[in-house]
Amino acid sequence: MSAESTGIPMNRTQSMGSALNRGRLARYSLWQFRDFWWERGIAILLIGGLWGYVVLEPLRLTMGPQWTAPNSPAAGMTLQLASAVVSLAVLIAVNGIVSTDRKHGYYRFLFAKPVSPVLFYTQVFFVYMAGVIISMLALGGLLRTILPTFNVLNFLIYSALIYVAMGGIGFFLSVATRFDWLTLAAVWLGARILRGVYGPRGGWRSKLVELLPPVHKLDDVANSLIANRTAPGTDVLWLAGYGILFLVLGLVLIRKGQIAD
Amino acid sequence: MPATNDANDYNAAAVVIEFKRVGKTYRSLLGNSVKAVEEFSLVVNAGEIFGIAGPNGAGKTTLIAMLLGYLRPTYGSVEIDGLPARQYIERSGMGYLSELVAINPKWRARASLVRYAILAGVPEPEIDGRVSFVIELLGLAEHRDKKVKALSKGNLQRLGLAQALLRDERILVLDEPTHGLDPVWTQKFRDIVTDLRRPDRAILIASHNLDELQRLADRVAIIDRGRLQRIVSTGYDQISTSAASRFRITLASGDDVMRALLPTAEDAGRGEYDVTVNSIPELNALLADLIGRGALVASVVPERSALERQFREAVGETQ
Repeated sequence: MSAESTGIPMNRTQSMGSALNRGRLARYSLWQFRDFWWERGIAILLIGGLWGYVVLEPLRLTMGPQWTAPNSPAAGMTLQLASAVVSLAVLIAVNGIVSTDRKHGYYRFLFAKPVSPVLFYTQVFFVYMAGVIISMLALGGLLRTILPTFNVLNFLIYSALIYVAMGGIGFFLSVATRFDWLTLAAVWLGARILRGVYGPRGGWRSKLVELLPPVHKLDDVANSLIANRTAPGTDVLWLAGYGILFLVLGLVLIRKGQIAD
Repeated sequence: MPATNDANDYNAAAVVIEFKRVGKTYRSLLGNSVKAVEEFSLVVNAGEIFGIAGPNGAGKTTLIAMLLGYLRPTYGSVEIDGLPARQYIERSGMGYLSELVAINPKWRARASLVRYAILAGVPEPEIDGRVSFVIELLGLAEHRDKKVKALSKGNLQRLGLAQALLRDERILVLDEPTHGLDPVWTQKFRDIVTDLRRPDRAILIASHNLDELQRLADRVAIIDRGRLQRIVSTGYDQISTSAASRFRITLASGDDVMRALLPTAEDAGRGEYDVTVNSIPELNALLADLIGRGALVASVVPERSALERQFREAVGETQ
């Protein structure tokens, strides 16, 4: 059976302009979002929901009317929990964001099509960001039902900031290594520990740890942003700038390096 | 059969794919290095079906990875239509079937083709028709809604081929395309590839299967240890100028005629005889004599294809 015998017109190969390229990628974003939802989004919602339920529900039942009292410690605990859930969600979202395609060889068919890997993975990064924010909207909405003072909008801004900061580094590690989840967790925890140990001491070690991801600023930003106030601009810039820098480095590595291992 | 190492003298006006003194060395973190491809030059022209043959580890897959821009050559360059390979693909794409068909196992067969069709640039209104067409062409209708992980090896291979045919590509690269296919689908694959031949299209097939390349390809590059050993034209007419060739002739009747006419023929039993001739005309003269004297010839098969003989010579396994 030949193509001609079917009567279906074969669409001729043509050079794709960049606008057309972006149009196709934009259409493909729906499939990327679908992948996020089935492979990561459901897991984020289940883990976040269960975690919140297990930690907060017993407290709420125990505290009774004090739970929503003006000086209740519930707000602080909810804040800590929400902050941890966002970090975990970002970890789940960016895990294997590039390395899975390379590990399993999925890139072979994807990038034989007229597609730029740089644009493809930039889009994946932002589609997954949207996925994380939507997941956090659902979880934030749930939190608000049990704690009316919880500010969902600020929580979403915080989620976006953490996604850019932590996700940018995760993206880079996913391009540079196959063990990105483990490496990102190690970098994130390691930076926090090293800053805690050497940061206050002064000297060259203190200056060196300044180069590590600014995870120490997370607590301040979380406290100020989610708790209904504005976040310190320099901290936000540090976090976002660090993440964007590594995102760009990851994209440069895709462009200049090899798609295959 | 002519063999040449000069890859550049073949209709240079219609060059589509060109490897220019390409080399690829893999280096480990410990400093060990392996030369996968060395000083490889090759030209593939529009209208050609071109084969790449070589033993395991010869460098076929590395060459194809460089052609797709998935690996960067250590030195030299790979160009398609005069552009760096990766640049060409990002602008125009190509039909590609990899040796290992790697599609996300959670995707469903039809949905995976829709995804690839979007990326390939098939216009939105044509996607359904195009996907249905390749599903029918590759006999995947009953598997269209199955998850990729539920497909057998052969069906997965056909799905891989289906995604390569979603768009009317000018360049098709097929790496071990019949790997895992049963004989029926191997033959259908050959028919499909034959139908795909077009004056402005180049088809590159890498395969271990010399018989397949002999049937499909116009020319075959034989590579070994990362180097181009020779380029072989596959036409049988070439045999008239080559060294002696052996054929197995099967007779339905007339064994006595064969023994009288050609006492040197080796009797392989059950009416089969192995004969050595120096040319196609000599073979035809022998067959005419046999038939003329009343023998009934059932089949004539070369003991080894012309390509197989060249291959064995090139990789140093001549018997």
